[in-house]
Formats: sequence, structure tokens, C-alpha cells
Amino acid sequence: MTDAEPKKFAFFPGCLIPVRYPQMEAAIRKTLPKLGVEIVDLPGFTCCPDPIYFKSYDKLAWLTVAARNLAVAEEAGLNLFTICSGCTATLSETYQQLNANKNLKEEVNQRLARVGKEYRGTSTVRHVATVIRDEVGVEAVAASVVRPLEDLRVAIHYGCHLLKPSHIMKVDDPDDPHILDDLVAALGATPVRHDEWILCCGKACKHEEAPSEMMYELLKSVAAAEADVLGVVCPSCFTEFDLGQLRLARQHDDESLKTPAVYYFQLLGLAQGLTLEEVGLHRHKVKAPALEKYAAAAV
Amino acid sequence: MSPKKNNEKKGRGPTVTLDFEFKKRLEKIVDGALVNYCYQCGACVGDCPSTRYVPEFNPREIMLKVLYGFAEELVGPASPVWYCTNCYNCYERCPQNVKPVEIIIAIKNLMARRGIYPEKAQVGDLVEMVLETGRTAPVTAMTKKLREELGLPPLEAVDTDELKKILE
Repeated sequence: MTDAEPKKFAFFPGCLIPVRYPQMEAAIRKTLPKLGVEIVDLPGFTCCPDPIYFKSYDKLAWLTVAARNLAVAEEAGLNLFTICSGCTATLSETYQQLNANKNLKEEVNQRLARVGKEYRGTSTVRHVATVIRDEVGVEAVAASVVRPLEDLRVAIHYGCHLLKPSHIMKVDDPDDPHILDDLVAALGATPVRHDEWILCCGKACKHEEAPSEMMYELLKSVAAAEADVLGVVCPSCFTEFDLGQLRLARQHDDESLKTPAVYYFQLLGLAQGLTLEEVGLHRHKVKAPALEKYAAAAV
Repeated sequence: MSPKKNNEKKGRGPTVTLDFEFKKRLEKIVDGALVNYCYQCGACVGDCPSTRYVPEFNPREIMLKVLYGFAEELVGPASPVWYCTNCYNCYERCPQNVKPVEIIIAIKNLMARRGIYPEKAQVGDLVEMVLETGRTAPVTAMTKKLREELGLPPLEAVDTDELKKILE
């Protein structure tokens, strides 16, 4: 892979990862070049904007801000990759809706014209996991591993917005996805599917008790699967699994709730020879002692 | 909001206010008369995580109320729509392509126009924050420390001039 011409993509960092979880951004920046992906930073991006609250406030405003972000990538002549499922949902839906609906596109472009921008619909949007699978290939990911994560059991949380709506996201079968299982297996680790794998993290539900009940159910299912870590690709889900898990363990006085959530690209970094500190795993609330032996292994 | 009962004393039973324009206001937001195709099969309910934990939240019932025009129950302060997790299971399951979650989001848009959203959702705060800073999360001293520790460049302020102009 490294001998070939690198594949260039515009990097859409979003808000939560660079601001709250920069360890995930660091993992992306340190692992993709080893897979032959060139990360291009473009000035001018704003919040995607978020697919729950901003979209609930005013859908047309939401599409307009998203179209402006896509126009920034179009001006640079590059396709985009995202690192958060929420950003992926917003930008993918905007791309699909504006390209399918001429009137809506015109309405949005009238607003963009005020700042000299135009949405044309020429830059595609992919979540970084999809870019790796489709543009790099699972075999090339395996070839970049210098420290196989053998015997590591990784429960996988796909989350909702990476996969659904499937006709827009075009990532995998939402009822039986394999993309993350395959990427985990490429690291030498064992993907584990727990009973509640399809359950939502519940973050958007504004009920007093329901979201924590959902999370408790989900985390008990992860614990029952005896996984060493919980692999995620979305910073919103991560918040629920890291800080949220700590809170639930105290609330229910349940010591079994201790499966550390890890962003997939942190695991990839570890397998590629980076230290725990280099991928920022020491900053997580729920610690991951199971990963220490891999970090200590010779490269 | 409960249906008006001012007719009860006349012996006619309770009166319900129906808003026949409600569906049309939603159609403009979701781009089409999607809900008209709902035949109440309930496929959206089976895999709804919110219904599993909050039985009073039921996407099939919400679609029925839209069809009947029970607007006040859906856009009033007691609306159940904010219990939706936005998981998109209903969107996947619906055999009629009604996209219940998109209808629910459109209902939230109508609520926002009236200034009604649950305090817990912090919708207004979030939108204001994006307009002011270009981001949904504030860059703090901890952000700077973590980025430095990881060898990442500091985050620059986002220019929000264009954002404000396109949203005027």
C-alpha cells in the first residue's frame, strides 16, 4: 500500500472529537498515513451541524449549513471523510436529499449565494471506517499490523447513524453488519456480538429514566459477553459508554459494568505499534488494563 | 393537551379539535405526503427502543394522530416526540416508506417555531452555540492541554460570519 500513490481525502473533523476527545483525532492522524491515505485539512468547516438537535430546530437551516460544509470540499475538488457517525449522517443525508431534489437544492443555493458559495453535489461523504474498507481494504489493514491483538475480545457497538437509513448511508446491512467485525478481525482480535448489539445508546431520548435503562441493559449484555473492550466509531456513543458507564456502575452498585469503550482507530494505532499514551487511552474514564500487555509487546 | 370537553354538559360527549392543515405543514418539512401512505401496520413499533422503555411513546400512534389532525397533542408542551431516540429503526422497517422518524423531526420543527422544546434537550442553547462559535462543544483549557499532550495543533476559532449570513 505504501508504495502506491496515496489516496487523498478532505478531513471533516466535526466538533466532539477535536474538542472533547482529541485522542480519537490523534489516532486517525497517526494510523491513516500507514494505510496510504493522505489527510487534507481544509479551512472553513463549521459544525456539520448535529443531526439531532439542530435538525429538530429547523431542517432547512440544518441542510443549508451542511451544504456549505460540502461546498468547502467541492471547492478543493476532494471527497470527504468523517470520523463521527453524527457528522456522517448529516452530510450524507444532505448530499442525498439535495442531489435528489432540484427545488430544495435551489432553495439552499439561494442562501449560499449570499456568501458566494454554491452546492453542486460533486463531493461524496464517507465515514472513515467505510473509507478504510472500500478504498484501502481489510487485507491492507491487516498488513499494517505489527503487534497483533491476539486473544483480545472486542464487543462492537455499531450505533445507529453509521448504518441507517441504509439506502442513504450505503455502508452495510443494518440487520447484520460486518464492516466493524471485519476491521476488528484484521487486527488479530476477536469480534464479539453481544445480545443487545443493535440497541441504541439512547442519548437523543429526553425521557427521565429511559436512556439510562437502555444503557444499563446494553452494558449488562456487553459484560455478559465477557469482552475485554467495547469498540465504537462514534464519539456520542462513547460518552455514554465511558462517563455514562461509570455513573451507571455507581448508581446500580454493579461492579460488572467495567468494559472500557475504545474508538476503533485507537485499537488500530496500538496494533500498528503506537503506545497507549500516543492514542490517548490513558485519558479514558473506564480504564483498559487488557490492552497493557499489547502495548508492552515488542514491535 | 387533552381534547376539549366543553360540549359534555350539552350531552354530546367530548369535542376533539382537528387540524386538517397540520399534515400539510409537516409535508413541507419532510418533503412529501409520506404519512398518507401509513396503513397502521405497527412495523415501526416492534423495533422501537423508546417504545420498549417508554410505552407512551408509540410511533404508530403518532402517525395516526398526524392523519387525524390531533395537532395539539403532538406540538403542545406534553408532546411525546422528544422521547424518540432518532435510531432510524422505524425508517428501515416501514413497508410504506413513511419515514416515521422524519415525521417526528418535522413535528419538532413545528414545536421549535413556537419556542417549545424540553429544557433537557437544550435545542436553543445548542443552535446559539453553533451560531456563535461554529461548534457544539466549547474549547476549554482541558481541550488545549489534551491536544498539546497528543501532539495535535491547537484548535483555531471558527469563522462564523458566513454561517450567520446563510441563516438570516
